[in-house]
Amino acid sequence: MRQRISVWPVAVLLMSAASSVWAHHSPSAIFDMGSRISVTGTLTKIDWINPHIVLAMDARGDGGKTEHWTFQSNPPSWYRSVGLARADFAKAIGQTITVEGVRARDRTPFGYMQKIVLPDGTSLELINSADPK
Amino acid sequence: MLKRRSSILACAVLMSATAQTQQSHPDLSGVWSYAIDRAPAALKKEVNGVVTIQKIDQSARHGDATSVAGALPSTPKPSYKPEHLAKVKDLFDHESKVDPVFYCGKPGVPRIGSPRKIVQLPNETIFFYEDISGDPYRVIPTDGRPHRVNANPSHYGDSVGRWEGQVFVVDSRNFLDDTWFGEDGYFHSSEMRVIERLWKVGDNLVWQATVEDPVVLTAPWVMPPRLIRPSTERLEESPKCVETDGSKLLNNDHHLQR
Repeated sequence: MRQRISVWPVAVLLMSAASSVWAHHSPSAIFDMGSRISVTGTLTKIDWINPHIVLAMDARGDGGKTEHWTFQSNPPSWYRSVGLARADFAKAIGQTITVEGVRARDRTPFGYMQKIVLPDGTSLELINSADPK
Repeated sequence: MLKRRSSILACAVLMSATAQTQQSHPDLSGVWSYAIDRAPAALKKEVNGVVTIQKIDQSARHGDATSVAGALPSTPKPSYKPEHLAKVKDLFDHESKVDPVFYCGKPGVPRIGSPRKIVQLPNETIFFYEDISGDPYRVIPTDGRPHRVNANPSHYGDSVGRWEGQVFVVDSRNFLDDTWFGEDGYFHSSEMRVIERLWKVGDNLVWQATVEDPVVLTAPWVMPPRLIRPSTERLEESPKCVETDGSKLLNNDHHLQR
């Protein structure tokens, strides 16, 4: 179990939306949208809840101490609309995954997941929609 | 005997006329796509080096004031009375922290948008929704009955429906005043009344709402219509809503900013 955190500039990708079904706070009010982190560790839990799904993982930090990371991501119904269910993530519980995303401004081990690499190598990434509206 | 036969014949004619009237209305029943904002992202999936990109259908998330047949002339924003403009601005400025729906609150009507599923019956029509706050439904009588007199105020109000030609008109009132009717701080009073109009254009559904509130608005606000495609996506129970981010907000950014 090894934690690897790297930071690099990224194009802004906003995943929180405006009206009721998808509504939530501005991501830039919570997360540092200008940098992106990558954390590798063991998936310990997946909560399939609104307004965001939540993944919990343990990763080894500097000095070998285990850090408990939490990542939220898009709402359950969004994932449903792209053909993904809780089971697609839950099958990786207890195994090593890598999550990329943006970190909370308060620097706690909390972030917004933009990409996950599952144990079988499958990569799932949220990218900007080509929809011009 | 002749009198009895006449009565039976008259009754049959009446039933036939009623059936024809019911059948002359378009059938709005069915499952319809989301017509409100969805997270503006696509999914890029890579399995064994094979990349697929799945986009979300966002076609109905914005109103279209110009190209929908039968739509009422609309305006982009509601017109508030001068004494309420400061409150609207303050709510708008702090939207990310104070918008009730950001805390799993019920969006109410019309903010919940168009129904995800419609079941149209002879004497009532039922709207079903999916929402992070729960999965509300509205049973809308269409048998000519008036609004309930003693109903408790609610987030989705008391609704009655009628047909105006090919347009299904839903008149709702008796609202609680703790919802916003639009995301930009559009608060309302308990005197709000919402008129929703639904009709078909080809295989698509059109939904257009008008908000009336003589306490806070200078005129009714006619929202832009939304053109909604049929959907094959089954409705599903929405998972519980657990809001934990409010205390983590470090600025007043709006969503879709930056």
